[in-house]
Amino acid sequence: MGESLRKPTTRAWMQAWFDPRRRDLGTFAFVLNRITALGLTLYLFLHLIMLGNLARGPEAYEQFLTTIEHPVFVFGEYLVVLAGLIHGFNGIRVALTSFGIGVPYQKRIFVAMMVIAAAAGIIFGVRMLTV
Amino acid sequence: MLAEKSAPKTGENTWLWLLKIGSGLLILTILIIHYIVNHFIGEEILLTYDEILRYYSNPIVPIMEGIFLIFVVVHALLGLRSIVLDLRPTRAVLRVINGVFGLVGVVSIVYGIWLLVVIASRGSAG
Amino acid sequence: MGTPIWKITCQVYRQKDGESAHYDEFVMEADPEEYVLDVVERIWAFHDRSLVFRHACHHSTCGACGMRVDGVEKLTCITPIREVTRDGGTIKIDPMRNFPVVSDLVVDMGLFYRRMEEVGHQPVLPVNEAGVIEKSRRPKDRDGQELLRLADCIECGLCISACPIAVTNPNYLGPAVLAGAQQNGLDRDPHLLEMVDNEDGVWRCHSVYECTAVCPSYVEPAWRIMDLRKQVMKARFKRLFQPERK
Repeated sequence: MGESLRKPTTRAWMQAWFDPRRRDLGTFAFVLNRITALGLTLYLFLHLIMLGNLARGPEAYEQFLTTIEHPVFVFGEYLVVLAGLIHGFNGIRVALTSFGIGVPYQKRIFVAMMVIAAAAGIIFGVRMLTV
Repeated sequence: MLAEKSAPKTGENTWLWLLKIGSGLLILTILIIHYIVNHFIGEEILLTYDEILRYYSNPIVPIMEGIFLIFVVVHALLGLRSIVLDLRPTRAVLRVINGVFGLVGVVSIVYGIWLLVVIASRGSAG
Repeated sequence: MGTPIWKITCQVYRQKDGESAHYDEFVMEADPEEYVLDVVERIWAFHDRSLVFRHACHHSTCGACGMRVDGVEKLTCITPIREVTRDGGTIKIDPMRNFPVVSDLVVDMGLFYRRMEEVGHQPVLPVNEAGVIEKSRRPKDRDGQELLRLADCIECGLCISACPIAVTNPNYLGPAVLAGAQQNGLDRDPHLLEMVDNEDGVWRCHSVYECTAVCPSYVEPAWRIMDLRKQVMKARFKRLFQPERK
């Protein structure tokens, strides 16, 4: 049964996942979920490592706090919050539809979830990024 | 026959997937609590060292945060593994990935729990 | 009188054995109400007899004419020209993705058809079992005879082409195959459980829903994959508590 399954070229793969032109909303959701997943995982491990500062005592911890007051870190944290909102709310959609709930409306659910995420994102943005 | 060609597939199954979805939903709920406590209860936007010790002296907290830690690590690594599975690893590579992720997971959880114990005991002592 | 004739440019994917792939351009006159397949056929008939493409019924029943128009999967016999371009516009016509190209616009569907048969996709269903998505309104049988109808899926492969998971993983069974398994049902065919409860089956789906978006035949493969997941979970839970049962 030696059929050649066509091996995907890198270009085909990139086009399939990242070309938003004339692709449906679902591809967008998938790509967003994947990117936020990677970002959040990276943050998770950084966070765990940075928490080691707590164990080193109050001086190390206060030192660490002053380091992350730098705007680059604050903005980075904001991105993490956004990623968490997007990934979490889209995750709700995936969980719902995977159990057969709301499948005919899955596109609308996605839009609603992203609107909520955007609203929360704006609120967090104001709180975090304005002095 | 395709069933023979595929043999016993350990890649992904009902239970792993249920674990991923379940942990995801649990994370959402605890995350809200975790976030509110860390950023809205204290004086500043971030808790001070003493506030953290006080927070963790209540035994419920390290337990909740411990559960949170376990599920986040599990969810993240299962998710990473799904991404790897999309790239068609061979059986051998998949075994290595399973091993590496398993190791990373265990180390992260043990380290995290150690941190929790340290902070909680400091809180009760001080 | 009647609809005006448009002038459109068609960039058609060409690949013959041993040569590298390239696009040939044809400037065609087309009635906006006619279908993309008609234009492809005219390209073949009057411009290039070496163009290879698949077509049969021309009325969305056989599933032969699936292609990508401007990168989006279409069943070309029911895709009017006005839906994909305008007067003076250009369209790109590619073969379906995720299948090996045999020649020009024709792809090798062999493995796909074999998988459809493996999962026991039923080509004909009793009418009573139809309408899985809406609440069933069971029609009465006349003279006690069971009314039959053709299954929705025409095995055109457009969903497989649209699925981003199928791009990186040809072992993934894909929407049509999983939908066929769902339609057959784990109740009817329990051995399907091993076939779909793995990383190349139901759990590989990432809820992208492109398959449902491009399906020309209202199969709703994404919904069926989710329903199949429920069937799999139910079967697995049952086995937990009744391990000796079949």
